[in-house]
Amino acid sequence: MEWIVPKLISEILKWVLLVWLAVVIVAAFLYVQPAKSFIGESSRIVFFHVPMAWVAVLAFLVSCVTSVMYLRRRNPKDDIRASVSAGLGLLFAVLATTTGAVFAKIMWGAYWNWDPRQTSITILLLIYAAYLALRGAIDDPERRASLAAVYAILAFVTVPFLVFVVPRIYWSLHPDTIINTRGANEFDSRYTQVLMASLVGFTGLYVWLYTIGCRIETIRQRRRQEVL
Amino acid sequence: MWRWLAEAMAVAAKDLRTEFRTRVAINSLGLFALTVLAAVSYTVGPYRIAAEDRPFLLAVLLWIVIFFAALAGLDRSFVKEEESHTAPLLRLAASPSAVWFGKLVFNLLVIYMLMAILVPLYCILMGYTIVMVWEFVLILALGGYALAVITTIVAAIIARALTRGALFSVLSLPLLLPLMIFLIQGTAGVAEGMPEVVSSTVRAVLSMGGIMTIVSAALFPVVWSD
Repeated sequence: MEWIVPKLISEILKWVLLVWLAVVIVAAFLYVQPAKSFIGESSRIVFFHVPMAWVAVLAFLVSCVTSVMYLRRRNPKDDIRASVSAGLGLLFAVLATTTGAVFAKIMWGAYWNWDPRQTSITILLLIYAAYLALRGAIDDPERRASLAAVYAILAFVTVPFLVFVVPRIYWSLHPDTIINTRGANEFDSRYTQVLMASLVGFTGLYVWLYTIGCRIETIRQRRRQEVL
Repeated sequence: MWRWLAEAMAVAAKDLRTEFRTRVAINSLGLFALTVLAAVSYTVGPYRIAAEDRPFLLAVLLWIVIFFAALAGLDRSFVKEEESHTAPLLRLAASPSAVWFGKLVFNLLVIYMLMAILVPLYCILMGYTIVMVWEFVLILALGGYALAVITTIVAAIIARALTRGALFSVLSLPLLLPLMIFLIQGTAGVAEGMPEVVSSTVRAVLSMGGIMTIVSAALFPVVWSD
Protein backbone atom coordinates (compact mmCIF):
# COMPACT_ATOMS: atom_id res chain seq x y z
CA MET A 1 0.00 0.00 0.00
CA GLU A 2 1.64 3.25 -1.14
CA TRP A 3 0.80 6.55 0.49
CA ILE A 4 1.45 9.06 -2.24
CA VAL A 5 3.20 7.75 -5.37
CA PRO A 6 3.88 4.31 -6.92
CA LYS A 7 7.05 2.47 -5.97
CA LEU A 8 9.24 3.10 -9.01
CA ILE A 9 8.59 6.84 -9.08
CA SER A 10 9.23 7.08 -5.36
CA GLU A 11 12.53 5.23 -5.81
CA ILE A 12 13.60 7.70 -8.53
CA LEU A 13 12.44 10.69 -6.51
CA LYS A 14 14.46 9.49 -3.53
CA TRP A 15 17.66 9.62 -5.59
CA VAL A 16 16.76 12.99 -7.10
CA LEU A 17 16.24 14.30 -3.58
CA LEU A 18 19.61 12.95 -2.46
CA VAL A 19 21.47 14.62 -5.35
CA TRP A 20 19.45 17.82 -4.99
CA LEU A 21 20.25 18.20 -1.27
CA ALA A 22 23.94 17.41 -1.89
CA VAL A 23 24.07 20.15 -4.55
CA VAL A 24 22.30 22.60 -2.24
CA ILE A 25 24.80 21.96 0.54
CA VAL A 26 27.79 22.40 -1.76
CA ALA A 27 26.28 25.53 -3.32
CA ALA A 28 25.54 27.01 0.10
CA PHE A 29 29.24 26.91 0.95
CA LEU A 30 30.96 27.44 -2.42
CA TYR A 31 28.62 29.10 -4.95
CA VAL A 32 27.42 32.05 -2.86
CA GLN A 33 29.39 35.00 -1.45
CA PRO A 34 28.61 35.81 2.21
CA ALA A 35 26.03 38.65 2.48
CA LYS A 36 27.58 42.01 3.41
CA SER A 37 25.32 42.97 6.32
CA PHE A 38 26.12 39.75 8.20
CA ILE A 39 29.22 39.03 10.33
CA GLY A 40 31.77 36.73 8.62
CA GLU A 41 30.31 33.62 7.03
CA SER A 42 27.23 33.62 9.26
CA SER A 43 24.81 34.35 6.41
CA ARG A 44 25.30 30.79 5.08
CA ILE A 45 23.28 29.35 7.97
CA VAL A 46 20.23 31.08 6.46
CA PHE A 47 20.18 28.36 3.75
CA PHE A 48 19.45 25.80 6.45
CA HIS A 49 17.68 27.85 9.11
CA VAL A 50 14.95 29.30 6.88
CA PRO A 51 13.97 25.93 5.28
CA MET A 52 13.83 24.29 8.75
CA ALA A 53 11.46 27.01 10.00
CA TRP A 54 9.38 26.78 6.81
CA VAL A 55 9.11 22.99 7.01
CA ALA A 56 8.19 23.20 10.72
CA VAL A 57 5.27 25.53 9.91
CA LEU A 58 4.30 23.43 6.86
CA ALA A 59 4.28 20.26 8.99
CA PHE A 60 2.04 21.91 11.54
CA LEU A 61 -0.26 23.09 8.76
CA VAL A 62 -0.47 19.53 7.40
CA SER A 63 -1.14 18.26 10.92
CA CYS A 64 -3.99 20.78 11.30
CA VAL A 65 -5.51 20.00 7.88
CA THR A 66 -5.37 16.23 8.40
CA SER A 67 -6.90 16.70 11.88
CA VAL A 68 -9.82 18.57 10.32
CA MET A 69 -10.10 15.77 7.73
CA TYR A 70 -10.14 13.17 10.50
CA LEU A 71 -12.99 14.93 12.27
CA ARG A 72 -14.95 15.07 9.01
CA ARG A 73 -14.30 11.56 7.62
CA ARG A 74 -13.27 9.57 10.71
CA ASN A 75 -10.64 7.74 8.70
CA PRO A 76 -7.86 6.39 11.02
CA LYS A 77 -5.28 7.13 8.29
CA ASP A 78 -5.89 10.86 8.74
CA ASP A 79 -5.06 10.49 12.43
CA ILE A 80 -1.80 8.73 11.53
CA ARG A 81 -1.00 11.54 9.07
CA ALA A 82 -1.66 14.21 11.71
CA SER A 83 0.47 12.57 14.39
CA VAL A 84 3.40 11.81 12.03
CA SER A 85 3.35 15.37 10.73
CA ALA A 86 3.25 16.85 14.24
CA GLY A 87 6.24 14.72 15.23
CA LEU A 88 8.20 15.89 12.17
CA GLY A 89 7.14 19.48 12.82
CA LEU A 90 8.57 19.18 16.30
CA LEU A 91 11.86 17.80 14.91
CA PHE A 92 12.22 20.59 12.34
CA ALA A 93 11.25 23.24 14.90
CA VAL A 94 14.07 21.96 17.17
CA LEU A 95 16.49 22.18 14.21
CA ALA A 96 15.29 25.71 13.35
CA THR A 97 15.76 26.73 16.98
CA THR A 98 19.28 25.27 17.13
CA THR A 99 20.46 26.83 13.87
CA GLY A 100 18.84 30.11 14.94
CA ALA A 101 20.68 30.01 18.27
CA VAL A 102 24.03 29.48 16.52
CA PHE A 103 23.29 32.46 14.27
CA ALA A 104 22.25 34.55 17.30
CA LYS A 105 25.54 33.76 19.05
CA ILE A 106 27.57 35.01 16.06
CA MET A 107 25.45 38.09 15.26
CA TRP A 108 24.25 39.25 18.66
CA GLY A 109 26.72 37.59 21.06
CA ALA A 110 24.38 35.22 22.92
CA TYR A 111 22.77 31.91 22.05
CA TRP A 112 19.52 32.88 23.71
CA ASN A 113 18.09 36.29 24.58
CA TRP A 114 14.29 35.72 24.45
CA ASP A 115 13.95 37.62 21.24
CA PRO A 116 10.25 37.55 20.16
CA ARG A 117 11.10 35.02 17.42
CA GLN A 118 12.82 32.77 19.94
CA THR A 119 9.91 33.17 22.35
CA SER A 120 7.38 32.22 19.70
CA ILE A 121 9.31 29.14 18.52
CA THR A 122 9.66 28.02 22.17
CA ILE A 123 5.90 28.26 22.65
CA LEU A 124 5.41 26.38 19.38
CA LEU A 125 7.69 23.60 20.64
CA LEU A 126 5.73 23.46 23.92
CA ILE A 127 2.42 23.25 22.02
CA TYR A 128 3.46 20.27 19.95
CA ALA A 129 5.19 18.55 22.86
CA ALA A 130 1.84 18.95 24.69
CA TYR A 131 0.05 17.48 21.66
CA LEU A 132 2.24 14.38 21.81
CA ALA A 133 1.80 14.20 25.62
CA LEU A 134 -1.98 14.25 25.13
CA ARG A 135 -1.75 11.40 22.61
CA GLY A 136 0.21 9.40 25.17
CA ALA A 137 -2.41 9.93 27.86
CA ILE A 138 -5.44 8.40 26.10
CA ASP A 139 -5.84 4.64 25.68
CA ASP A 140 -8.85 4.33 23.39
CA PRO A 141 -7.60 4.85 19.78
CA GLU A 142 -10.75 6.60 18.51
CA ARG A 143 -11.01 8.96 21.45
CA ARG A 144 -7.28 9.65 21.22
CA ALA A 145 -7.62 10.49 17.54
CA SER A 146 -10.53 12.91 17.94
CA LEU A 147 -9.25 14.68 21.08
CA ALA A 148 -5.77 15.02 19.58
CA ALA A 149 -7.35 16.42 16.40
CA VAL A 150 -9.24 19.01 18.43
CA TYR A 151 -6.06 20.04 20.25
CA ALA A 152 -4.08 20.22 17.00
CA ILE A 153 -6.65 22.62 15.54
CA LEU A 154 -6.69 24.74 18.72
CA ALA A 155 -2.89 24.80 18.68
CA PHE A 156 -2.74 25.82 15.05
CA VAL A 157 -5.07 28.74 15.74
CA THR A 158 -2.44 30.21 18.08
CA VAL A 159 0.34 29.94 15.46
CA PRO A 160 -0.58 33.17 13.58
CA PHE A 161 -0.48 35.06 16.89
CA LEU A 162 2.99 33.70 17.58
CA VAL A 163 4.37 34.19 14.09
CA PHE A 164 2.79 37.53 13.22
CA VAL A 165 1.37 39.36 16.26
CA VAL A 166 3.99 38.77 18.98
CA PRO A 167 6.97 39.90 16.81
CA ARG A 168 4.97 42.98 15.71
CA ILE A 169 4.17 44.08 19.27
CA TYR A 170 7.72 43.57 20.49
CA TRP A 171 10.88 45.03 19.10
CA SER A 172 12.92 42.22 17.50
CA LEU A 173 16.53 41.72 16.50
CA HIS A 174 15.52 39.05 14.01
CA PRO A 175 16.18 40.07 10.37
CA ASP A 176 13.10 40.73 8.27
CA THR A 177 11.80 37.58 6.67
CA ILE A 178 13.23 37.18 3.18
CA ILE A 179 10.19 38.58 1.42
CA ASN A 180 9.97 41.51 3.79
CA THR A 181 7.40 44.22 4.33
CA ARG A 182 8.99 46.59 1.81
CA GLY A 183 8.95 43.86 -0.86
CA ALA A 184 12.67 44.41 -1.35
CA ASN A 185 15.27 41.68 -1.42
CA GLU A 186 18.53 42.40 0.42
CA PHE A 187 20.44 39.49 -1.07
CA ASP A 188 21.88 38.98 -4.56
CA SER A 189 20.33 36.64 -7.12
CA ARG A 190 22.66 33.67 -6.42
CA TYR A 191 21.62 33.87 -2.80
CA THR A 192 17.95 33.69 -3.72
CA GLN A 193 18.56 30.77 -6.11
CA VAL A 194 20.28 28.65 -3.45
CA LEU A 195 17.74 29.56 -0.81
CA MET A 196 14.82 28.61 -3.05
CA ALA A 197 16.57 25.35 -4.04
CA SER A 198 17.15 24.61 -0.36
CA LEU A 199 13.49 25.31 0.45
CA VAL A 200 12.42 22.87 -2.26
CA GLY A 201 14.98 20.27 -1.11
CA PHE A 202 14.02 20.33 2.54
CA THR A 203 10.33 20.30 1.66
CA GLY A 204 11.09 17.15 -0.37
CA LEU A 205 12.93 15.70 2.61
CA TYR A 206 9.88 16.38 4.76
CA VAL A 207 7.57 14.65 2.26
CA TRP A 208 9.88 11.62 2.16
CA LEU A 209 10.12 11.36 5.97
CA TYR A 210 6.37 11.87 6.18
CA THR A 211 5.56 8.98 3.83
CA ILE A 212 7.99 6.69 5.67
CA GLY A 213 6.51 7.74 9.03
CA CYS A 214 2.96 7.07 7.84
CA ARG A 215 3.91 3.61 6.54
CA ILE A 216 5.70 2.65 9.76
CA GLU A 217 2.76 3.82 11.88
CA THR A 218 0.27 1.90 9.69
CA ILE A 219 2.29 -1.31 10.04
CA ARG A 220 2.61 -0.75 13.79
CA GLN A 221 -1.16 -0.33 14.16
CA ARG A 222 -1.87 -3.39 12.00
CA ARG A 223 0.48 -5.50 14.14
CA ARG A 224 -1.16 -4.24 17.31
CA GLN A 225 -4.54 -5.30 15.95
CA GLU A 226 -3.14 -8.71 15.00
CA VAL A 227 -1.82 -9.20 18.54
CA LEU A 228 -5.22 -8.26 19.95
CA MET B 1 -32.57 30.30 20.87
CA TRP B 2 -34.21 31.12 24.24
CA ARG B 3 -34.50 27.43 25.00
CA TRP B 4 -30.80 27.01 24.29
CA LEU B 5 -29.92 29.98 26.51
CA ALA B 6 -32.14 28.62 29.28
CA GLU B 7 -30.36 25.24 29.02
CA ALA B 8 -26.94 26.90 29.18
CA MET B 9 -27.93 29.05 32.15
CA ALA B 10 -29.32 25.97 33.90
CA VAL B 11 -25.94 24.24 33.45
CA ALA B 12 -24.11 27.30 34.81
CA ALA B 13 -26.55 27.62 37.74
CA LYS B 14 -26.20 23.91 38.55
CA ASP B 15 -22.42 24.25 38.54
CA LEU B 16 -22.52 27.32 40.77
CA ARG B 17 -24.86 25.56 43.21
CA THR B 18 -22.71 22.41 43.46
CA GLU B 19 -19.61 24.59 43.65
CA PHE B 20 -20.92 26.56 46.63
CA ARG B 21 -21.86 23.25 48.24
CA THR B 22 -18.34 21.78 48.04
CA ARG B 23 -16.21 24.85 47.19
CA VAL B 24 -13.50 22.67 45.57
CA ALA B 25 -12.69 25.01 42.66
CA ILE B 26 -13.12 28.24 44.61
CA ASN B 27 -10.99 26.94 47.49
CA SER B 28 -8.20 25.71 45.26
CA LEU B 29 -8.17 28.85 43.08
CA GLY B 30 -8.66 31.37 45.88
CA LEU B 31 -6.32 29.82 48.42
CA PHE B 32 -3.64 29.24 45.78
CA ALA B 33 -3.88 32.89 44.71
CA LEU B 34 -3.84 34.21 48.29
CA THR B 35 -0.89 32.00 49.29
CA VAL B 36 1.16 33.07 46.28
CA LEU B 37 0.18 36.70 46.85
CA ALA B 38 1.35 36.45 50.47
CA ALA B 39 4.63 34.86 49.35
CA VAL B 40 5.22 37.47 46.64
CA SER B 41 4.27 40.34 48.91
CA TYR B 42 6.54 39.05 51.70
CA THR B 43 9.56 38.39 49.50
CA VAL B 44 9.27 41.29 47.03
CA GLY B 45 6.97 43.77 48.75
CA PRO B 46 6.32 47.32 47.55
CA TYR B 47 9.90 48.66 47.79
CA ARG B 48 12.22 45.95 46.47
CA ILE B 49 11.76 46.80 42.78
CA ALA B 50 13.28 50.00 41.38
CA ALA B 51 10.70 52.64 40.40
CA GLU B 52 11.36 52.43 36.65
CA ASP B 53 10.95 48.61 36.62
CA ARG B 54 7.75 48.58 38.67
CA PRO B 55 5.06 48.88 35.95
CA PHE B 56 6.42 45.91 34.00
CA LEU B 57 7.66 43.58 36.74
CA LEU B 58 4.55 43.99 38.87
CA ALA B 59 2.41 43.25 35.78
CA VAL B 60 4.40 40.04 35.24
CA LEU B 61 3.86 38.91 38.84
CA LEU B 62 0.15 39.79 38.76
CA TRP B 63 -0.58 37.76 35.63
CA ILE B 64 1.54 34.83 36.78
CA VAL B 65 -0.54 34.66 39.97
CA ILE B 66 -3.84 34.88 38.02
CA PHE B 67 -2.89 32.32 35.33
CA PHE B 68 -1.46 29.76 37.70
CA ALA B 69 -4.40 30.13 40.09
CA ALA B 70 -6.72 29.51 37.13
CA LEU B 71 -4.74 26.39 36.21
CA ALA B 72 -5.05 25.16 39.81
CA GLY B 73 -8.83 24.90 39.76
CA LEU B 74 -10.62 25.52 36.48
CA ASP B 75 -10.32 21.92 35.24
CA ARG B 76 -12.87 20.97 37.92
CA SER B 77 -15.78 22.10 35.74
CA PHE B 78 -15.48 19.01 33.51
CA VAL B 79 -13.37 16.65 35.62
CA LYS B 80 -16.00 16.56 38.36
CA GLU B 81 -18.66 15.46 35.86
CA GLU B 82 -16.50 12.50 34.82
CA GLU B 83 -15.47 11.64 38.38
CA SER B 84 -18.99 11.67 39.76
CA HIS B 85 -20.26 9.89 36.59
CA THR B 86 -22.82 12.62 35.93
CA ALA B 87 -21.49 13.34 32.42
CA PRO B 88 -23.78 10.82 30.61
CA LEU B 89 -26.83 12.35 32.28
CA LEU B 90 -25.71 15.84 31.30
CA ARG B 91 -25.30 14.62 27.72
CA LEU B 92 -28.94 13.54 27.73
CA ALA B 93 -30.23 16.65 29.47
CA ALA B 94 -28.66 19.43 27.41
CA SER B 95 -27.31 20.04 23.92
CA PRO B 96 -23.47 20.05 23.63
CA SER B 97 -23.27 23.74 22.78
CA ALA B 98 -25.44 24.62 25.78
CA VAL B 99 -23.17 22.57 28.06
CA TRP B 100 -20.13 24.34 26.61
CA PHE B 101 -21.63 27.79 27.08
CA GLY B 102 -22.86 27.00 30.59
CA LYS B 103 -19.42 25.75 31.64
CA LEU B 104 -17.82 28.81 30.03
CA VAL B 105 -20.11 31.13 32.01
CA PHE B 106 -19.28 29.24 35.20
CA ASN B 107 -15.52 29.43 34.60
CA LEU B 108 -15.83 33.10 33.67
CA LEU B 109 -17.69 33.87 36.92
CA VAL B 110 -15.05 32.01 38.93
CA ILE B 111 -12.22 33.96 37.24
CA TYR B 112 -14.01 37.30 37.72
CA MET B 113 -14.64 36.49 41.40
CA LEU B 114 -10.96 35.66 41.79
CA MET B 115 -9.93 38.89 40.06
CA ALA B 116 -12.35 41.01 42.10
CA ILE B 117 -10.67 39.87 45.31
CA LEU B 118 -7.10 39.34 44.15
CA VAL B 119 -6.38 42.42 42.02
CA PRO B 120 -7.30 45.15 44.57
CA LEU B 121 -5.42 43.22 47.27
CA TYR B 122 -2.42 42.89 44.96
CA CYS B 123 -2.41 46.61 44.15
CA ILE B 124 -2.60 47.50 47.86
CA LEU B 125 0.01 45.01 49.09
CA MET B 126 2.48 45.63 46.25
CA GLY B 127 1.87 49.38 46.01
CA TYR B 128 1.00 49.03 42.33
CA THR B 129 -0.28 52.36 41.00
CA ILE B 130 -2.34 52.28 37.79
CA VAL B 131 -2.62 55.46 35.73
CA MET B 132 -5.45 54.36 33.41
CA VAL B 133 -7.86 52.60 35.78
CA TRP B 134 -10.80 51.97 33.40
CA GLU B 135 -8.51 50.63 30.71
CA PHE B 136 -7.03 48.33 33.37
CA VAL B 137 -10.52 47.02 34.17
CA LEU B 138 -11.12 46.46 30.44
CA ILE B 139 -7.86 44.51 30.07
CA LEU B 140 -8.72 42.40 33.14
CA ALA B 141 -12.20 41.69 31.76
CA LEU B 142 -10.99 40.73 28.28
CA GLY B 143 -8.04 38.75 29.65
CA GLY B 144 -10.35 36.89 32.04
CA TYR B 145 -12.69 36.06 29.17
CA ALA B 146 -9.92 34.70 26.89
CA LEU B 147 -8.51 32.75 29.84
CA ALA B 148 -11.95 31.23 30.52
CA VAL B 149 -12.50 30.24 26.86
CA ILE B 150 -9.15 28.46 26.55
CA THR B 151 -9.30 26.70 29.93
CA THR B 152 -12.88 25.54 29.30
CA ILE B 153 -12.10 23.67 26.08
CA VAL B 154 -8.83 22.25 27.48
CA ALA B 155 -10.67 21.11 30.63
CA ALA B 156 -13.19 19.34 28.39
CA ILE B 157 -10.33 17.56 26.57
CA ILE B 158 -8.40 16.45 29.66
CA ALA B 159 -11.54 15.25 31.45
CA ARG B 160 -11.58 12.39 28.92
CA ALA B 161 -7.86 11.51 29.33
CA LEU B 162 -6.18 9.31 31.93
CA THR B 163 -3.71 11.58 33.77
CA ARG B 164 -5.85 14.64 34.29
CA GLY B 165 -4.14 16.86 36.87
CA ALA B 166 -0.75 17.30 35.23
CA LEU B 167 -2.14 17.30 31.70
CA PHE B 168 -4.33 20.37 32.31
CA SER B 169 -1.34 22.68 32.87
CA VAL B 170 0.71 20.97 30.15
CA LEU B 171 -2.00 21.49 27.53
CA SER B 172 -3.23 24.91 28.68
CA LEU B 173 0.01 26.80 29.23
CA PRO B 174 1.33 26.75 25.65
CA LEU B 175 -2.04 28.02 24.40
CA LEU B 176 -2.15 30.64 27.17
CA LEU B 177 1.42 31.97 26.85
CA PRO B 178 0.79 34.32 23.88
CA LEU B 179 -2.22 35.69 25.77
CA MET B 180 -0.09 36.17 28.87
CA ILE B 181 2.54 38.06 26.84
CA PHE B 182 -0.12 40.44 25.47
CA LEU B 183 -1.75 40.97 28.87
CA ILE B 184 1.55 41.69 30.65
CA GLN B 185 2.45 44.26 28.00
CA GLY B 186 -0.99 45.88 28.24
CA THR B 187 -0.96 45.98 32.03
CA ALA B 188 2.48 47.60 32.03
CA GLY B 189 0.96 50.08 29.54
CA VAL B 190 -1.98 51.03 31.79
CA ALA B 191 0.36 51.37 34.77
CA GLU B 192 2.56 53.80 32.87
CA GLY B 193 -0.27 55.52 30.95
CA MET B 194 0.63 54.53 27.37
CA PRO B 195 -2.59 54.50 25.29
CA GLU B 196 -0.99 53.07 22.12
CA VAL B 197 0.29 49.95 23.98
CA VAL B 198 -3.12 49.52 25.58
CA SER B 199 -4.95 49.71 22.25
CA SER B 200 -2.67 47.16 20.57
CA THR B 201 -3.10 44.84 23.56
CA VAL B 202 -6.88 45.18 23.52
CA ARG B 203 -6.96 44.37 19.80
CA ALA B 204 -4.66 41.33 20.21
CA VAL B 205 -6.58 39.94 23.21
CA LEU B 206 -9.96 40.57 21.56
CA SER B 207 -8.95 38.75 18.39
CA MET B 208 -7.44 35.85 20.35
CA GLY B 209 -10.52 35.54 22.60
CA GLY B 210 -12.81 35.82 19.59
CA ILE B 211 -11.11 33.20 17.45
CA MET B 212 -10.80 30.80 20.40
CA THR B 213 -14.53 31.23 21.12
CA ILE B 214 -15.45 30.33 17.54
CA VAL B 215 -13.04 27.39 17.30
CA SER B 216 -14.02 25.92 20.67
CA ALA B 217 -17.75 26.35 19.98
CA ALA B 218 -17.24 24.44 16.71
CA LEU B 219 -15.06 21.70 18.23
CA PHE B 220 -16.72 21.17 21.61
CA PRO B 221 -19.42 18.74 20.35
CA VAL B 222 -16.62 16.41 19.15
CA VAL B 223 -14.89 16.48 22.53
CA TRP B 224 -18.12 16.07 24.44
CA SER B 225 -19.81 13.31 22.45
CA ASP B 226 -16.94 11.06 21.33
